[in-house]
Amino acid sequence: MLEVQGIVKQFGGLTAVNDFSLSLDRGDIVGLIGPNGAGKTTAFNVIAGFYRPNAGRVHFGGRDITGLRPDQICKLGLARTFQVVRPFGALSVLENVMIGAYARTNDKATAKAKAEEALEALGMTDLAERAARDLPIAGRKRLEIARALATEPQLLLLDETMAGLRSAETDEVIEMVRKLSQRGIAILLVEHVMKVVMSLAQRIVVLHHGEKIAEGQPSEIVRDRQVIDAYLGEVESDAAR
Amino acid sequence: MSAVKKSASSLAPTAGPLGRLWHAIWADWDLMQLAISVLLVVAIGFAPLVIRSPYYLGILILAVLYAYVGISWNIVAGFAGQLLIAHIIFIALGAYTTVVLYTRFDVMPWIGIPASGVVAAGLGLVIALITLRYGLKADYFALFTIALMVALKTLFLKWEFVGAAVGMGLRLNEPSWEKMIFSTKEPYLYIGLALLLAGILVQFWIYRSKLGKYFLALREDEAAAAALGVNTSLYKTLALLIGSAMGGIGGGYYMMYVTFVEPPQVFDLGLNVELVLAAPIIGGLGSLLGPVLGALINKPLAELIRGTLTAGRSGTTLIVYGAFLVISILFMPRGITGLIQDGYQRLKRRRAPERDEEVRRGNA
Repeated sequence: MLEVQGIVKQFGGLTAVNDFSLSLDRGDIVGLIGPNGAGKTTAFNVIAGFYRPNAGRVHFGGRDITGLRPDQICKLGLARTFQVVRPFGALSVLENVMIGAYARTNDKATAKAKAEEALEALGMTDLAERAARDLPIAGRKRLEIARALATEPQLLLLDETMAGLRSAETDEVIEMVRKLSQRGIAILLVEHVMKVVMSLAQRIVVLHHGEKIAEGQPSEIVRDRQVIDAYLGEVESDAAR
Repeated sequence: MSAVKKSASSLAPTAGPLGRLWHAIWADWDLMQLAISVLLVVAIGFAPLVIRSPYYLGILILAVLYAYVGISWNIVAGFAGQLLIAHIIFIALGAYTTVVLYTRFDVMPWIGIPASGVVAAGLGLVIALITLRYGLKADYFALFTIALMVALKTLFLKWEFVGAAVGMGLRLNEPSWEKMIFSTKEPYLYIGLALLLAGILVQFWIYRSKLGKYFLALREDEAAAAALGVNTSLYKTLALLIGSAMGGIGGGYYMMYVTFVEPPQVFDLGLNVELVLAAPIIGGLGSLLGPVLGALINKPLAELIRGTLTAGRSGTTLIVYGAFLVISILFMPRGITGLIQDGYQRLKRRRAPERDEEVRRGNA
């Protein structure tokens, strides 16, 4: 479904992503991990059309989507969330999600019904009429997912959706993501919370200095010497702090 | 049986079509704003029964024009968040189009005014294309529109065909409906009100539709909008097209009312503030009611200040008027509509528990 082939993204002299490849099928949950500044979000931005890669191609659903605009890519069925949440603050939660639903329809009633469906899937029905800016951080993170879900994606890119959540909240979101995947939506997640990646992902890709240093099942990744040196060791020291 | 019926009717004390309409409006703040706007239009429609003085009617006519133009700017700046500061260029271009068509080509204003909308939209499209081509963001876009106004002023000052520095006026021979020339003020008022009513309805329709929600998404966060499938370039262009076309039409009507136009008068930031920006800002930028409410306060107030304070001392007007604008921005960031909305929501909350109580009693 998603085929990323050797993408390169440079900013001036800095190579943020170098020769990165990845493939995803229907219903897959793949985790993308790596230390801060490893190029995870940059890779996301290239895939979702926010950056044009210096080299390499991105194919989605059998189509070359390299260089397409984000809105075109969204309409093809690839939706993303933002690491730093970007709610439409002045609008209600329902309106936020309706804007996502409008990607598939011009009709207000249909958009509203789809939005309500997405809100229910995220357990946010009660919050529909609230202004998005009044939501606490956990609510905003969920709103990001609900909005993206309302665009009816086949592939969902989740950029650190669980960062900053409390443990119980994280568990809820993990459960929701699992349900989405059961509906046949493929999921690529960037995540720092190792518990999340380990419990959700069937496959993990590790980025370091913009390059892929490992790929495999979670159980293999945690034993990988290179990964431990580059990343997992750092996580432990983070936790110790 | 009859007891049940009684309690049911007390549950809906305002049954009947009017009562139901009122309930529907009361429940929905957008509809509330629409209803207040339409009521204001109707009230102004009856004003000539009370106001006989042509001077005061003239102020009212301009207030109606300000409200309409305010709506056209509100859609671009308030909804879509595009800092189109020098919106006056579309009004100016509309005024010139109407007068040129009228005096040079004998086209009557009923056609000339819509044509002004088309010409202004043409300029709107050019602005949109340049803006997108060079990726002008927010403040740079604002500066670009101001620079364009200055350039157009110079162009019109030199352009003989449109009267150059002398300007252009209507030949005021016989008053007639065809030529939209009247000897009394009332017909101008009613044409203006028709325009305003159309503007109010268009604004409401946009706000409630996909188009309007996409505009709001652009204003709130462009990147998030793009990620959700909003073609940001297309919708920015649409916002500019709608705003400029409506502005051009307003300019055509302005021309017919003031009967004379010259470059320094219309390509002017002072007039831009008073005619375009003040009403939505005072009334509440981005709201449905703001431009209408703002214009009805802004225009009479501007006249009052001009009439009382400035006798002989030019410049005082601008200082006092400017101070008023600054104060209203500082203390009412959401405008008068914001204050009304807060009051409305407080009332609504106070009424809601009562209704719950009634329901409970009804069920018992």
